[in-house]
This record gives sequence, C-alpha cells and structure tokens, in this order.
Amino acid sequence: MPLDNLLCGLLETGVNKLHQLDSSAQQRRKMLDGVIIAVTLKELNKPLYFVISKQQIDILAKYEGQADCFIRLNLSALKELQNNHQLTRLIKSEQLEVEGDIQLVQQFAQLLTEMDIDWEEFLSSKVGDVLAHKFCYHAKQCQQGLSQQLKKIEKHSAQFITEELKLAPGPLQVAYFCEQVSELEKQCLQLEARIAQRLQKI
Amino acid sequence: MSNTQENTTHFGFKTVEEDRKADLVAEVFHSVATKYDVMNDVLSMGIHRVWKRFTIDCSGIRKGQKALDLAGGTGDLTAKFSRIVGKTGHVVLADINDSMLKVGRSKLRDMGIVDNVDYIQANAEELPFPDNHFDLVTIAFGLRNVTDKDKALASIYRVLKPGGRLLVLEFSKPLYRPLSKFYDFYSFNILPKLGKLIANDSESYRYLAESIRMHPNQDTLKEMMNNVGFEDSEYFNLTAGIVALHRGYKY
Ligand SMILES: C[S@@+](CC[C@H](N)C(=O)[O-])C[C@H]1O[C@@H](n2cnc3c(N)ncnc32)[C@H](O)[C@@H]1O
Repeated sequence: MPLDNLLCGLLETGVNKLHQLDSSAQQRRKMLDGVIIAVTLKELNKPLYFVISKQQIDILAKYEGQADCFIRLNLSALKELQNNHQLTRLIKSEQLEVEGDIQLVQQFAQLLTEMDIDWEEFLSSKVGDVLAHKFCYHAKQCQQGLSQQLKKIEKHSAQFITEELKLAPGPLQVAYFCEQVSELEKQCLQLEARIAQRLQKI
Repeated sequence: MSNTQENTTHFGFKTVEEDRKADLVAEVFHSVATKYDVMNDVLSMGIHRVWKRFTIDCSGIRKGQKALDLAGGTGDLTAKFSRIVGKTGHVVLADINDSMLKVGRSKLRDMGIVDNVDYIQANAEELPFPDNHFDLVTIAFGLRNVTDKDKALASIYRVLKPGGRLLVLEFSKPLYRPLSKFYDFYSFNILPKLGKLIANDSESYRYLAESIRMHPNQDTLKEMMNNVGFEDSEYFNLTAGIVALHRGYKY
C-alpha cells in the first residue's frame, strides 16, 4: 500500500513542479476546478484519481466517492492524448474508453500534456544565460541523436523478429505468399469456368 | 496510594501533575512551531508524507463532506482535505496551540486555500462542536500529547456522524527487535542533536522521543477505541510499526 502512496507522491510532485513552471497552467486548472478524474492504465489495471483544484493537482490511489469521469487507456495511447484530434480515433480503436463527459477528457489531456515551459528561460534564472543556452543546445542535439538511435533500434528489432526469431514473416516471404494466393485464385477461376462449360454441354 | 500520585501523568519520562501537562506540551509546540515543517521532513527523512498519504487513502473522504483535522498543527492533512471536499465541503483545523494554528493558517493561505477551512483553538478532550457533526476526524501525531486520551477519544466519538470514521496516525511499537534498537539509538542520541542543530531546541525533541515510548502500543490503543464505542476498529503498521494508523467507525 505505502508503495502506491510513494508513487502517487512522486507523480504528484512531478506534475505540480512542471505546472509551476508553466504560467498558463493555473488558468487551465481553473476550468477544471473541483473535478475528479479516474484514470486506469490497462496495463496496471488500477485507477489513479486526479483531484483538480485551482491550487494544484492531487493524485490519490484511492477515492471512495464517485469520480466525474472514468478513463481507461493503454500506455501507448497516453502519448497520443496530446493530439486532440486523435481522441475519437483512439476511442474507436478501443485504445481509450471513456465513461463521462468527453469534453472533460479533452480538457484534462490538455492540462497534462500541453505544457508551455521555456526551459532555457527557467535554467537561465538558475545558472545564468550562457550556461543555460549551452545546455539547451546540447540537450536538443542529444534529443536528435536519441531519436535517431531509437529509429535504428526499432528497425533492428523488426529485423530480429522476422529473420532471427521467425516470429513474423519478412517482406519477401509475404510477397511470395501473396503471389501463391493469387495463383491459387487464378486456378480456382479457371476450374470454375471449365466446370461451367462441362455443365452446359450436358 | 497518596493523593499526589493519583493526579499525575506522564510528560515524556517525567511524571508531572495532570493539570501541568497541557502547559508543558504547549511550551514544546510554541517553541518548535515555526521550524515544525522542516524538522518533520528532516527527522523522518520525508517519510511522514507517505504516512499522511496512506491516511488520506484510508479516510474515505469525498466531495461535499465535513472533516475535522484535530491537533492539525501546520495543516498538512487539512490542505489535502480542503481540495478533496471542494466548495461544497468543509474542513476544520483544530489545535490547542495558537502558535501552531497561526503557522498553519498562514501556510494554507499562501497555498491559496481560503474558502472552506476554519481554524479553531480547541482541546481534544472537550471538543466545541455539536454531536454527530463530522464525516471524518483525523488526529495525526497528536493523541500522544493529549493528557486524558480516553476522554479525547470519547469526545471525538461524540462529534462524529453515524457512519463517520476516526483515523489516528501515531508513533507506535516497532515490530522487530533490531529495528527497535536502532530506533532507540536514533531517537535518544541523534534526534535531540538534530533538534538542537536545526531548531536550537534539544529539550523539545527529547520530549518527542520520550513521549513516543510512553504511548500505548497498537493493541492497547485499539482497545481504548473500542471502549469508547468505536466499531470495526483496526490498525495498519507502517514502516514496520514505527508508526501505526488506527481506524474506527461510529455506526
Ligand atoms: C506533532 S504535532 C502534529 C501536527 C500535524 N497533525 C502533523 O501531523 O504534522 C502535534 C500537535 O498536537 C497539538 N496538541 C497537543 N495537545 C493537544 C490537545 N489536547 N488538543 C488538541 N491539540 C493538541 C499540538 O499543539 C501540536 O500542534
């Protein structure tokens, strides 16, 4: 139990620290003042309750009352919540289930994902302009490097799955299989035609 | 037994006359009030925050309810309750000590909590509230300091609504011997020194360590709760029994 509390505590501190850096966050919290939203990650199958108030967001592991809105989603859908237009698609593909007001979900997603933080500005208040600029520059480069690496890893693991483990067929195999299927289809059609001919003769 | 003995109580390991304990406790908290929050974080290494979160999870508090944070001091629990019960709910922060109340009030004001909290100076033994008034009463790290604990529990029972809950978060008896040893060493040797270093007040923190040892253990406290009428009383050991959360219902 206290492990849940520890995790909630860390998550809550993190979210609110970010919100403090974002000057528009308070305004967005105000729109949801007093709203309680239950979020369940399908992978964990355990709800977390987000209590939103003007002052901050509180995250509880347990709430015995009725939340205003229930959300169930896959971890992978979490990232896509950022994009408002994706919500309906996510719901249709069953990666996201909503019980309650969909508009609340939209506002909530915005509250968590649309953070407008000027990191360089924030850092420069802590360490000075020059260092802050340098740091942000390097961070950006690291980020680019990282995303390239990630793409590589994605490609390599795809290769590994198809060629080494043979869990999934490779592209040539798929093409060959498709060819065989169309060949079969053609033969079937020919057969059908011949049968029809014979039948007419009788 | 002589008369003097009958009217005495514990102040840490010292025995003092009953009517003096409240004053002595007051002195302790007057002197630590402004440093209280920092000391809490340092001395418990931040763990008191996790204990308080667990307390909130067990409280069943929800929108629109009325809660009493008794011996609430600097108002950690009150702040959370205030946000959870929202505009339609209400929270009372009660403490016997006006220095602690003042620190609590200005802390919560700074956090922007204004609408639904009242601050009331009150003794847990004689709560100035009507019968059947609150959905929830919490007393966190406060019962230890109260002179007549049975009287306080009975008074809490009275102000709770039927269906309401009491939560007592308090130091308790560690479950394992080696841990007890370490804990004793920490409390009697390190804690007062830290108290001296940070709050320039070793006496108050010696009192803290001693009062923890004198506090009833898990089962005794549960029994005391049952005696004043609480039902389904239970407790949860936290951090191996260094702290226990007791929960009882009034039906
Ligand atoms: C250790 S502090 C706990 C503060 C807060 N609940 C927390 O957990 O951080 C104990 C508080 O109990 C208060 N107290 C002591 N005796 C009391 C009594 N008889 N009635 C009400 N409050 C009391 C003290 O003034 C002090 O503020």
